Amino acid sequence: MDILHNLAFGFEHALTLQNLLFCAIGCVVGTLVGLLPGLGPLATISLLLPLTYSIPVTGALIMLAGIYYGAQYGDSVSAITMKIPHASSIVACIDGYQMTLKGRTGLALFTAGVSSFIGGTVAIVVLAALAPALGEVALMFGPADYTALMLFGFFCVSFVTTGSLLNGLAMCFIGVLLGQIGTDVNSGVLRYTFGLPFLADGVGVVSVALGCFGIAEIAKNLDGHEDRSPFKGKIKLMPTWPEFKRIIPSALRGSVVGSALGILPGGGPVIAQFAAYALDKKVSKYKDEIGKGSIEGVAGQAAADEAAARTSFIPLMSIGIPENAVMALMMAAFIIKGIQPGPNMISGHPELFWGLVASMWIGNVFLLVLNVPLVRYWLSVFKIPYQVLFPAILFFCCIGTYSINNNLEDVYITAAFGLAGYLFLRLELDPAPLMLGFILGPMMEENFRRSLLLSRGSFSTFVTRPISGTLLALIALLIAWQLLVFFKRTTKDVKVPVAVEQ
Amino acid sequence: MNQNLARGVALTAIALGFGLGAFRYPIGQFERAGPGLFPLVVSSFLLLIGITTVIRSLLIERQPMQFQFKNIAIILLSLCGFALLSEFVNMILGIVFLVFFAMLADPPYSIKRNLVVAAVLVAIALGFQQLLGLQLPLF
Repeated sequence: MDILHNLAFGFEHALTLQNLLFCAIGCVVGTLVGLLPGLGPLATISLLLPLTYSIPVTGALIMLAGIYYGAQYGDSVSAITMKIPHASSIVACIDGYQMTLKGRTGLALFTAGVSSFIGGTVAIVVLAALAPALGEVALMFGPADYTALMLFGFFCVSFVTTGSLLNGLAMCFIGVLLGQIGTDVNSGVLRYTFGLPFLADGVGVVSVALGCFGIAEIAKNLDGHEDRSPFKGKIKLMPTWPEFKRIIPSALRGSVVGSALGILPGGGPVIAQFAAYALDKKVSKYKDEIGKGSIEGVAGQAAADEAAARTSFIPLMSIGIPENAVMALMMAAFIIKGIQPGPNMISGHPELFWGLVASMWIGNVFLLVLNVPLVRYWLSVFKIPYQVLFPAILFFCCIGTYSINNNLEDVYITAAFGLAGYLFLRLELDPAPLMLGFILGPMMEENFRRSLLLSRGSFSTFVTRPISGTLLALIALLIAWQLLVFFKRTTKDVKVPVAVEQ
Repeated sequence: MNQNLARGVALTAIALGFGLGAFRYPIGQFERAGPGLFPLVVSSFLLLIGITTVIRSLLIERQPMQFQFKNIAIILLSLCGFALLSEFVNMILGIVFLVFFAMLADPPYSIKRNLVVAAVLVAIALGFQQLLGLQLPLF
């Protein structure tokens, strides 16, 4: 049993006192951030990136991973109790909040906690079994295939996360172009620096992330000025045995759906939640109750959420291509720590890979302990008014940007990206694909130039190679389908002028 | 202002900015790409998307654009003020300014609350400096 042996090896590394501590910190901070409005996992990971410089590699990555899946869990708690929809927990608002209205908050939270645990456990088995195998497939990839894969990832992310292929792609490309700022590694030419010396190394990833996700978000929240009423209801956690039995099948279904969708390009927790919810609505024994506050409606999506949050590490760690914006940021963290994620990572740094996998399960246990019995204390976080919260977030943004290079000029860059991010939000352009494009941009250029060099300038290499050919064909299909949908809708609108587009 | 049209125009402008900028660098041939080639290719794609968005906005329903200048301006100014004060005076003053100026964006304004928030944040910064070893020019 190779997997068991490897996992045991991983636990050896994850169960040191130091790494346990980092895992716990990651889970606590992640949950906190997930609960609070205005700071997503993207902004938090980039805020804490500078703090991890002095931490050993394995510990730093364990902590950052903990923040990510902890935030996914915290999101669902605020969705269940107060119907605060974060980007990543829209589905939890449906049945979870209905259960709160029925006075069964405790049961909903318990269900979410246990299902997340089940989902996370299943996903770790998938991760341990699949990542090394996929790593061997990745060795067959040439530069043309990598270019096509990244392009395919852009299309999938745009399609899935923003709903609008055009807007998402535009943001990916803007991200790629922003990644061009700085010194060209092949020729040493300074590109788009406008003669400013601090742009020679390019724009910092932390500045882009904090500007677009931290500062722009604050301005948007201040514009909206929503008053949140803190949760005051009672919480009775323990379910009865028949209730408990209803959790299991739905959670297992959700885990499988989540694990599968977490791996695909553009996949991740959001789409997994929707898919698991839809599946439960079709096949569950209690499908008539879903939507009105049933256990199944919470269990399936919570399990899928946590499962996908973990399996989305697979493409990053085995192929070396992140599949969504959060994973792109994780990749930046890997590289800052001197580790190149990809097929060689598992063999080159086994203690890091297996330690991270094992720590995810330990994080699961932490989350269960932290959240299920202690959830009522967490909810007191909501008593902090936004007036206190937002200056604090601004302060952390400033300190975070400054400490990367101990350079105050980076604060101006962050401010500039705050403005850009705010404009993007107002134009309904989602900044998440921009992040992915920004981090993949330099890699994409490298592979693009290398594949043209190998083919002596002929673009046919992208079509004739089987892997890149297939990926490009899929992209063409996606474009054709989108065009068809658009023209069908506009012609319909002309015939029936009453129909209002959504 | 029509939001869809504004988006198309913005994308087109960004594409033109980067695309025309790319011509200042050697383009090279496809087999020996220069530093200007890749940004040129990408911005051509972006230009295509921008133009499509403009055309599309004329075909579908108009959408009003919401834009509030005040809050984002206050936040950006408080960030710049923080950086300037930290550079020329010290970071504690920068933090105090950040809190007092940013709070303008969320009335009612209370000096007492601002003082408490600023004091706590300064304490956190001190903690970062002393315990985590961040090099903050606090004083």
